[in-house]
Order: sequence, then structure tokens, then C-alpha cells
Amino acid sequence: MTLEIVVMIKQVPDSQEVVIDPVTFTLNRSAARNVINPADENAIEAALRIKDKEKDVHITVITMGPPFAETALIDAMARGVDDAILVSDRAFAGADTYPTGLTLAATITRMGKFDIIFAGEESTDSSTGHVGPGVAEFLGIEQASYTSSTWIEDEFVYADRELEDGIETVRMKSPCLITVLTNSNVPRNPTLRMKIDSIKKGIKTWSLADIGLKPEWVGLKGSPTIVKSMRTINEKKREGKKFKAGEMDKFVDELVSKGILKL
Amino acid sequence: MVGLVNAEPPENAGEYKNVLIFLETRQGKLAKPGLEMISVGAAIAHKVNEELIGIVMGNKIEGLVQEAGEYGCDKVIGLKSKDLEDFRTIPYSVNLSELITELKPNILLIPATRNGRDLASRIAVRSKTGVTADCTELDIDPAERILQARRPTYGESTLAEILCKRHRPQMATARPGIFSVPERDPKRKFVSEIRKTTIKKEFLKKEIVSFKPKSTLDLTSAKIIVSGGLGLGKPSGFKLLEELAGEIGASVGASRPTVDMGWIERDHQVGQTGQSVRPDIYIACGISGKAQHIMGMRLSKNIVSINTDASAELNSISDYIINEDLYKVIPELIDAIKRRKSGEKKPAEAPA
Ligand SMILES: Cc1cc2nc3c(=O)[nH]c(=O)nc-3n(C[C@H](O)[C@H](O)[C@H](O)COP(=O)(O)OP(=O)(O)OC[C@H]3O[C@@H](n4cnc5c(N)ncnc54)[C@H](O)[C@@H]3O)c2cc1C
Ligand SMILES: Cc1cc2nc3c(=O)[nH]c(=O)nc-3n(C[C@H](O)[C@H](O)[C@H](O)COP(=O)(O)OP(=O)(O)OC[C@H]3O[C@@H](n4cnc5c(N)ncnc54)[C@H](O)[C@@H]3O)c2cc1C
Repeated sequence: MTLEIVVMIKQVPDSQEVVIDPVTFTLNRSAARNVINPADENAIEAALRIKDKEKDVHITVITMGPPFAETALIDAMARGVDDAILVSDRAFAGADTYPTGLTLAATITRMGKFDIIFAGEESTDSSTGHVGPGVAEFLGIEQASYTSSTWIEDEFVYADRELEDGIETVRMKSPCLITVLTNSNVPRNPTLRMKIDSIKKGIKTWSLADIGLKPEWVGLKGSPTIVKSMRTINEKKREGKKFKAGEMDKFVDELVSKGILKL
Repeated sequence: MVGLVNAEPPENAGEYKNVLIFLETRQGKLAKPGLEMISVGAAIAHKVNEELIGIVMGNKIEGLVQEAGEYGCDKVIGLKSKDLEDFRTIPYSVNLSELITELKPNILLIPATRNGRDLASRIAVRSKTGVTADCTELDIDPAERILQARRPTYGESTLAEILCKRHRPQMATARPGIFSVPERDPKRKFVSEIRKTTIKKEFLKKEIVSFKPKSTLDLTSAKIIVSGGLGLGKPSGFKLLEELAGEIGASVGASRPTVDMGWIERDHQVGQTGQSVRPDIYIACGISGKAQHIMGMRLSKNIVSINTDASAELNSISDYIINEDLYKVIPELIDAIKRRKSGEKKPAEAPA
């Protein structure tokens, strides 16, 4: 029987291109390109590695996002993913993590059989890390979060979870959901040939009606949280006093006399 | 399993009261990120004349329940079962959710650690409520009893205040290393209760087959940190930093790419996906100051940036800027410190 893998990916502004304005200390994201969330690239790679090793594996990537998020899906297909679904509808806009998880869980349910769902540990733009485990709860399945590797052995799914105080190896039966750590593997590059093939093959686009949720359950309306306000964090005024090579004794004197360093 | 249903506010939201905190355990001990929520949780609860209730789950928890009370919980509930000995998502979330149904807390706080976030995500869905992630400020509007959960966003440049007005409990996770652990007082009075529970087999399908503990370095309580970035150029650069650290009693920190390259262990990493630190002095050596790094160290009392690039982003938030090659200036700094310690005078400057 085919092993069905779903990878959930999110398109985000490239954080390497997001720069901090040195004066206002705000982030300038406007210039940044949109890319696949870095941890999701690792999630795609984790899925592809299972496909490399096991027989009869089928991988679908899904994203909830605006129409231009299809570039992320094409990119994933050009790395070796079989199918892609863009879940897109005006009604999804402004979702917090609850309706985001609900929408993705409804999409996966509509897809039919699934064995392993992969997600990234967190996104680089709002980085809650709540969407993956939320989907697992909606679907009522096991999960392993913050994993550095996943493999299949004797019909069990194994995963290494990297915790603050050690590495925990878990095993469970599918269906299950795995969240993958950023940089936990080296993602393969998309190839031009496969990119052309995937554009030819095309992606599916599903709307709210296709996944069967009520409009008031999704997007902003379906979100229990609201962003009340945003304020710039007042930076402590920092002087930026300069010291050159050859002035280290002076520098140490300064730190000691101001009580910053006690020797 | 809740099924595919929406987040629904309870009709009796006004009846929900008290602040519940999940006290995470690690290898049979109360972990620091959980204890860090006690002061802030108590402040919120007491502001509206409610109680702070600590929840401890595990097997041998009698001592931990006592400890949680001594640290400042008004009430501690221990859930005891051998199946709760180690954190596992489903048995923990099923049990915590049953407590939520019973106690109807207005607010639930969970530490934003890996297991804490794992748990919080599922509890929020089970309770059909919202959760504000990774908060660094928590307060309450006393009139409406609405949790004001604030979290840094956009590379720590802005603080977003997020509210969950109608759904209960109002949930937030608290970023480790931000709130301080209160004094432990063995004479403190509190109420406690230990309940034995049994966990259904169907909830125990995930097995932990092994656990390899790693020594952990707690940078969050370090007073001085000497931290290295890619500017070190090679793994042995950390040797030089260790030498400097040794002279001033500092811990060694690192930027993420140096960790990814295997130059130093991961528990040295500072930043968004590492530790959030706030020492008296943070000496950054060859670190550019990208948003994700700054997130973890910008609350340091004093920041020193040693960088060959005068326009490095980190310089804009530094108290001291040493615009030099670190391999030239750090040995000079070490010598200067040694001289200062021994009371020696600086040797006469060699003519250029
Ligand atoms: C400044 C700011 C702060 C916010 N804070 C909160 C908050 O505290 N609480 C809250 O509930 N919401 C919050 N949100 C809303 C949140 O950004 C959205 O809910 C978003 O859709 C998902 O959250 P995330 O990016 O944190 O995902 P994460 O949970 O960090 O993402 C983890 C993984 O889930 C998958 N995933 C996430 N989104 C998608 C998607 N659209 N399609 C496919 N897969 C996906 C990916 O695999 C991803 O790697 C905030 C938004 C902003 C702008
Ligand atoms: C999701 C996500 C999470 C992340 N989390 C973290 C995190 O937790 N922590 C973190 O640090 N990063 C994190 N990053 C990575 C972050 O974006 C940056 O890539 C990283 O912080 C840069 O590290 P660096 O400053 O060491 O390297 P670089 O940016 O390459 O900077 C090296 C600096 O060294 C200087 N230099 C070079 N030679 C010398 C010399 N001889 N003497 C003095 N100076 C010299 C250079 O001028 C330069 O400024 C994350 C990224 C992502 C996408």
C-alpha cells in the first residue's frame, strides 16, 4: 500500500534579506523575496529521504496562502515532491494559529488517506510553532515535535527529538505528525528540468467550499486572538564608545571604573 | 480529539477564574522555565484577588509539589502516575485538559520550551481557545480580567499585545530566561493536593525508546558572556574566547552558524532559536548582529562589539565598539586584563 506523506509549507519573506533599520530599529521586509519557510525546506527533505529509501511513497505539499504562494509549491515539486495543493480563499485571511491549523487539518482530511504529516518547527515570520501540533490535535493523531531525523523501521515511525536537556528517541505507529528542526538536514536543490515538469503538471487549488468549513470558522473571524497593538520596543540608549587596538588597557580601566567588570 | 470544529467561546466566560501554570519537569526535577512563571503568574492572579495554581505532573512528585508551594504557588495540584513520568504529548494534554474542564481557569500559562510549546498547541485546540506564543511581558486588565500578553515580533523590534477576549482559558507561553525565579521560602503557606491518575492505553501509543541526556549550559543566569560568530573563521577561534572567558569568569556563547558548523556545542547558542540571555556584559566577537541573534541578547546591560566591519548591525546596539580584527585585539585585551589584575603598568607604547 502506498505510504502517503503530506508536507505543510508556508511562504515567508526571506529573513536573510530582511534588514534592521539601524536608526528606527524596525525591520524592513518590503525588499525581501518570498521563500519557503526554512524549517519547511528541512521538512520537505525529511519526507524526500523517506521516499528515497522506502518503496511506494507518495508526497503531497500543501500550503494555505495567497495565490502567489504557488511559487513555493512549484519549488517543492521541483525537488521531487509528487503533488501540490494550494488552499486559497479570501476567507482565510487574518487567521491566527487556531483557524490556520483547522484549515490545514480539513484540507488533509479531504485528501483522504495520510500516514505521515511533516511540518516545520516554526515559521520565521511569526514563529509560534503552534500550527503543526495543532493540526495533530484536530486530527487526533500522535506527534513528535522538534525532530532532527525521522525513519521507518519494522512498520514504526521513529524520530529523534532534540530537547533542551537531551535527545529523546520516540517510536509510534502512523498516522502521525512530525515537526522538523531548521538546519536538521541539507535540503536538495530544485532542478530546472523538474521545475519545468512541475509547472506542466500544475498544482491543485482548493477554496473554502472544497474543504467544507464554515466561513465564520476560518480567517480573522475564526481567530480567538486579536492583535490589540504594536509598539516599537524602546531601545536602551547605547553610546557606541569606540576603542582601538593598542587601547585595551584604557578599555579595561573604563569597564572596571564603571563597575561593569569586576576583576 | 476535537474533530474539525471552530474555536468557541464559553457562554459563562465570566465564571472562569484563577491563573493556572504548568510546571514543567525535567529528569524528575522542576525545570527553571516553569518556576519563572510563578512571580508573574502570582502578580496577575493577586491583582484581581484570585489564586495562582501550579500543576505538576509526574511519578515521584511529592517533593516537587512541596517545592512549587515554597516558591510561591497559592495552591499546587500534583497528578501522579507512572505513565506521566516522562513528558508525552497525549497523556499530558489529555490530563491537563481534564483539569481545565474541572477548574475553569481564566488564564493558563505554559513555559515556551520545546515540550511546553508542544503541549500548549494541543491544549489550545482541545480547549477551543487562543494562545499567545513566547511572551516576554504578561499583565492583566483588572476591570475585564483580560490577559495582556505581549510578544516581541519582527526580529524583536516591536512588541505586539495580543488578547483573547472571549475564549477561555486565555493562554500564553512565556519565553524562558525573561521572568525571574522567586525566592524559595520553606515557611510559606500553601494548599496542596496529589491525585493518582490512570491513563488509558490508547493514549500511550507513543513510546520513548531512549533518552540521551546532554550536559546543559545555562547561559540565562551568566553575568558575563564572551560570544563568538563566524568572524572567528575557524573552530579553534573558540579557544581564544575560552581564554578570555577564563580571565574574567565568563561563559562562552555563540552565534547559530558556528553551532551548525560544529565549532561548538548547541547549548552555547544565543538567539531566537538558542538561549535568551541578559548578562551584565556581552562581548560579541565576530558577530554581525542579524535579527535572530539580537533577539537573544539585546537585553544585556552592556554590549561590546568586536568586528572588522564598522557598519556591522550589532554596532548600532553596542555600548562599546572595537572596530578591529579579533585575533589582534583579543590577545591585547587578555594581556590588559592580566596586567590590571596584577597591578602592573602598561608597557611604554612601541614607536610606530
Ligand atoms: C506579529 C504577529 C504575531 C502573531 N502572534 C500570534 C500568536 O501569538 N498566536 C497566534 O495564534 N497567532 C499569532 N499570529 C498569527 C500567525 O502568524 C498565523 O496564525 C499564521 O497563519 C501561522 O502561525 P506561524 O507562522 O506562527 O506558524 P508556525 O506554527 O510557527 O508554523 C509551523 C509550521 O506549520 C506549518 N504552517 C504554518 N502556517 C502554514 C500555512 N499557512 N500553510 C501551510 N503550512 C503552514 C509549516 O510547516 C510551519 O513550518 C501572529 C501574527 C503576527 C503577524
Ligand atoms: C529561523 C532562523 C533562526 C535563527 N536563529 C538564530 C539564533 O538563534 N542565533 C543566531 O545567532 N543566529 C540565528 N539565525 C541565523 C542568523 O540569521 C544569522 O545568519 C547569524 O546570526 C549570523 O551569524 P554570525 O554573526 O556569526 O555570522 P555573519 O553574519 O557571517 O557575521 C560574521 C561577522 O564577523 C565579522 N568578522 C569577520 N572576520 C572578522 C575578524 N577577523 N575579526 C572581527 N570580526 C570579523 C564580519 O564583519 C561579520 O560581521 C537564525 C536564522 C533563521 C533563519
